[in-house]
Amino acid sequence: MMQPVGPEKIRFVQKKQRHATVTIVTCKAEARRRLQPGRSGVLGKIWKHRADYAYVLPAIAVMLVVIAYPIYYTIELSFFKTPPGLQLRDKTFIGFDNYATILTSELFWRVTWNTLVWTLGSTLIAFVLGFATALALHREFVGRSLLRAILIIPWVISAVAASYIWKWIYHSDFGIIGAVLVGLGLADRPPNFIDSVSTVLPSLIVVNIWREFPFAMIMMMAGLQTVPEQLLRAARVDGASAWQRFWHVTFPHLRNVSTVTILLLAVANFNSFIIPWIMTGGGPSNASHIWITHIYELAFGRQRWGVASAYSVLLFLTLMTLGYFYVRALSGNERQEGSP
Amino acid sequence: MSTTAETVPQGLGRRRMRVDGWRWTGRIFLAFMLLYTAVPMIWMLITSIKSGFAAMQFPPQWWPDEPTLASYEKLLDPQNSVGQDFLRFFWNSLFVSTVTTILSVIVAVPAAYAFSRFSFPGRNFLFFAVLLRNMFPAVIFLVPLFILMRLLGLMNTHGSLILTYLTFGLPLAIWLLKGFYDNIPVQLEQAARIDGATRFQAFILIVMPLSTPGIIATAIYSFIGAWNEYIYAYTFLTKNDQLTLPVGIQRFFSENTTDFPGLMAASFMMSVPVVVLFLVLQRYFVRALTEGAVKH
Repeated sequence: MMQPVGPEKIRFVQKKQRHATVTIVTCKAEARRRLQPGRSGVLGKIWKHRADYAYVLPAIAVMLVVIAYPIYYTIELSFFKTPPGLQLRDKTFIGFDNYATILTSELFWRVTWNTLVWTLGSTLIAFVLGFATALALHREFVGRSLLRAILIIPWVISAVAASYIWKWIYHSDFGIIGAVLVGLGLADRPPNFIDSVSTVLPSLIVVNIWREFPFAMIMMMAGLQTVPEQLLRAARVDGASAWQRFWHVTFPHLRNVSTVTILLLAVANFNSFIIPWIMTGGGPSNASHIWITHIYELAFGRQRWGVASAYSVLLFLTLMTLGYFYVRALSGNERQEGSP
Repeated sequence: MSTTAETVPQGLGRRRMRVDGWRWTGRIFLAFMLLYTAVPMIWMLITSIKSGFAAMQFPPQWWPDEPTLASYEKLLDPQNSVGQDFLRFFWNSLFVSTVTTILSVIVAVPAAYAFSRFSFPGRNFLFFAVLLRNMFPAVIFLVPLFILMRLLGLMNTHGSLILTYLTFGLPLAIWLLKGFYDNIPVQLEQAARIDGATRFQAFILIVMPLSTPGIIATAIYSFIGAWNEYIYAYTFLTKNDQLTLPVGIQRFFSENTTDFPGLMAASFMMSVPVVVLFLVLQRYFVRALTEGAVKH
C-alpha cells in the first residue's frame, strides 16, 4: 500500500511510539474499529477524519453563505426578465434571451476589447517593471531597504486615494503632467488625458501599473533569493555573460514564481473596478468601460438585473478558464515542493 | 562560434566594463521607478498644503507661495461639519477593519492549520475552492449579496460589510497562513504529543506561538484590505453616518469638485494608517506574501 507521505505517516509513527505506554487505550480503539466493519472506503475515511473538518468548518460555512448562494442566485437570475427596483417576485422566465441581447450588442465587443487591452497591458507591463526593479534591487547597496519601502507604498494605499491623486495629476487645466509638457514646449496646451477617447485607456493603465508593479517586485525579489548562488558563480567561471547568466540560470529558476505572479496580476486586473470607476466612470463614450464597470452600471445604474446577471455568468465562465490555469500553476508548485 | 573566439582573449577589462554597464542601467532604471512612484505622492502632499486658490494656477506653483495647513485643520476639526463627517468616516473605517481583522484571524488560523497538516478526504478540493474565491470579482456577488443583506436586515449596517470582508479576505488569509504552517516542522508537535499533549494543546501551545509572524502578517493584510475596500461599502451603505472613508471621501468630493487641496489632504490622511502599519511591520508582510509562492 502506497501511503501518502505527511500526516498519515506521522500518525502511524505516533501510534507506534505510544504503544508501550498506553496499550489499553490503543486496544480499546482497535476493538471498537473491529465492531464497525461497515465503515470502509471513502465514507470510512471521512469518518476517521471527522475531527479534522471541525477546523475547516467555520471557514467553509462563511464561504457557503456568502459565495455559494450568490453564485446560484446569479445563474438563476440570468434566465429571467426582471423589472427595475428589485421587485423580483415579478420576474418572468425568458430562457437565453439575456445572453442573446449581450452577445449581439456592439457595446459588448467594444467593452471586451477594452478589457483585453486593460488586462494584458497592465499585467505585462507591471510584471516586467516589477521584475526589472527586483533585479536592480537584488544587489546590496546603501539605502536599498529604504528605496524598496518607498517603491511598495503605492501598492498599500487605497485605490480610491490613488485614483484621486492621479485624477489631479491628469487634470486638464491644472495637472502637473500637462504643465511639464507645456513647459518643455512639447505641447501648446495641457493635453486632455482622461477626457479623450484615444488616451483615456492608456492613461488609466499607467495608474493601474503604478499601484501594481510593487506586487510583482515583492514576489520576484523573494524568488530571486532562491536562485542558488553557486550556479551563478559556476556560470560566471564558465564565461557566461550577464545576460546569459540571467537567461539560462536565473530565469528558469523563477518560472514558477513568474507564472503565479502573472496569473494573480491578470486576475486582479480583470477584476479591477475602482480606478476606472472613480476616474472616468467608463467614459468618455464608453472608451474606458471594462466588463466589471459595465456590469456594475447595468445592474445598479440601469437596474437591468437579468442582463447584468447573464453578464456575470459569462464573466464567471471566463474566470473559470483562467482559474483552471491558476490551479494548475499552483499545484505544479506544490508538486515541486513535494519532491525536493 | 566566431564571436566566442573573439571575446575570450579580450580578457577582464572588457568584461568588467560590461558588468558596469548593467549596473548603471539598473541604477538609471531605479531612479526612473523612484520618480514614477514618488512624484504623485509628493504632488499630493504639496497640493494638500496649498490654498484652494493657489492650487488652481497655471502654470502650477511648484512650491506653494503661502503653505497652509488649513485643509488638515478643516478635516480634523470636530466643530466643523466637514471635520465631523471626516472623523466619523475615519472611525467607521477603523471599526469595520478592526472587527474584520480579528474575526478573519480567528476563522483562518484553524482552517489554514488543517489544510497544512491533516489529510482528510476532499482537502485539496476544499483548498482550491477556497482559493478560487479569490478569483471572482466583487461585482459578481454584488446583486445577490445586496438581496441577501436586505433579507437578513443588514442593509446600512456595518455587519453587512464585516460579513462580506470576512469572506473575501479569508482565501488569502488561509493561503498565507498555510505557507507558514508548512514551514513549521511537524516534529515539534510530535514531541509535544509524545509528552502527553492533545492535538489541540499541541496546536495552541506549540504551533500558535511559532506562527505569530504569520498571524501578524495575515492581520495586517486583512486590515489593509478592509480599510481600502470600496465596492461593497459603496453599494451596501447609503446613510451618511455609516460610510467608511473611501466612499465617504468620494461622496463628499462629488459635491465639492474643486476643493483639490482638501481632497489631497483627505487622501493623505486615509493613506497614513495603512502606510504606517505597513512600514512598521513590513518584514512580516513581505515574508507572508511570498511564503506560499516561493519555496525555500
